[in-house]
Amino acid sequence: MKSFIVFALMAFGAPGAFTQPAPKALIHAVHQKFAQVKDYSATVRMEFDIPSVRLTPVEGGVYFKQPDKFRIKTEGIIFLPKQNPYFTLQSIRDTNAYVAIFAGEETVQSTKTQVVNVIPNDNAGELILAKLWIDPARKLILKSQLTTKTNGTLTVEQGYGRLQGSALPDWIRFTIDVARFKVPKSVAVDLSASKNAPSLPAKGTGTIQLVFSNYKLNQNLSDAVFAQGK
Amino acid sequence: MGTLLRIELFKIATKPRSYIGFAAITVIVLLIELALWLDGRSYLEFILQALEQSFQVQGNLLNGNLVSFIILQTLIVQMPLLVALIAGDLVSGEAASGTIRLLLTQPHSRASILWAKYFATSIYVFLLIFWLGLLALGGGFLLFGAGDLVVLKSDELIILKAADTLWRFMAAFGIAFLSLSVVATFSLMLSCYTDNSIGPIIASMAVIILFTIIGTLEVPLFDRIKPFLFTTHMIVWRSMFDQPLDWGAILRSMWILVFHIALFLGVSFFHFTKKDIQN
Repeated sequence: MKSFIVFALMAFGAPGAFTQPAPKALIHAVHQKFAQVKDYSATVRMEFDIPSVRLTPVEGGVYFKQPDKFRIKTEGIIFLPKQNPYFTLQSIRDTNAYVAIFAGEETVQSTKTQVVNVIPNDNAGELILAKLWIDPARKLILKSQLTTKTNGTLTVEQGYGRLQGSALPDWIRFTIDVARFKVPKSVAVDLSASKNAPSLPAKGTGTIQLVFSNYKLNQNLSDAVFAQGK
Repeated sequence: MGTLLRIELFKIATKPRSYIGFAAITVIVLLIELALWLDGRSYLEFILQALEQSFQVQGNLLNGNLVSFIILQTLIVQMPLLVALIAGDLVSGEAASGTIRLLLTQPHSRASILWAKYFATSIYVFLLIFWLGLLALGGGFLLFGAGDLVVLKSDELIILKAADTLWRFMAAFGIAFLSLSVVATFSLMLSCYTDNSIGPIIASMAVIILFTIIGTLEVPLFDRIKPFLFTTHMIVWRSMFDQPLDWGAILRSMWILVFHIALFLGVSFFHFTKKDIQN
């Protein structure tokens, strides 16, 4: 099945595949840029647009340490994607662990990008397929679409500013498939609920946007920062 | 008026049934807190299962605010019955025991006697709500700590910041006081019409149960009736936890509740001041 997907993507997905630089070389360059950052802390503002959930923007601190430690600390309740924002970059770290196929060119955020499909060699991992929109000039991923085993499809778009040299985004927007929220009135003890309320679709998409500021890089963050409950 | 009010409060305080409400609230609140202490996580997991397929929810969801909210929405349905138990007995109880004639021989107008009974009931209702608030909020924060409030609805979750909740609870308790005052005046009105103490209590409970059933059933015929039932507007306290607040709907319901209080009091005064006391 995997061989068929690879063949189909190569045969029909990318007419210009053989005239472009090797996609793995491009991905490697992207990862190398990000690998310069050993750790960082920053301020983050989170904005939520999730069907059936009303949650005002929340501010907090965000911490990251290579290769995969990530933590957001806030005072209150927040909804986060199941994957951390660097799941894509972590998934493409080992260039021998996947097949990368050039799949054309598209414009994202007014920038011409190269589209690369990534198919992991190992079936046991969480990632099934990743589609990356990479700015070849700046060696940055502007958008990625991840198909995962347990959490469906997740689209991640990111915009860069002052720290684009370290591949650290100013903002990241996650678009996630969301099942309709519905609990029995008796469980929610919701006597005011009415059947006349507009019915929501069974499925929708929710977005979570993280806006970063006050980045502090390579401070040798302790692992204790990432421990839960602290 | 002060003496009359003290006498009425004394009468309420000496009736054992006056403490049923406080005992019931204490038991129910403690039971809910114990149940949530033991099984609250599974309750929340069940509610959030659809969302947790897509997101990780971070933060202390099971906190004093959520526990107080759950207690409030569970108990607010039962509290009118506890109020009717006292208010339904105020005049008819005196008639049944034969003390009404003695009471009316005092150098006070019938209107001031009824005002004293009304104010005494209002103080009782206030104390009942105060006790509920103390146990729910105090016990909730003591056992579960502080945190953002997750307002549970059957098709929606509203998450309110912890700092934005206390004033909403106070306003909700204020509206609950207004709602229970409607029940108190309704029972007082029925009490003015009969000479046995149990009749108005049962009648008040029956009307509240009937109206609540009509309000809960999703039948098109009842949809036309619902706006005219005072029980429909009694649950407007819940709207204090909406985001954004629908002040128009909240104030409209509050005015309707005030109108009902005035109506029931008016009928009570009209009948009681003209009532022919025969026993």
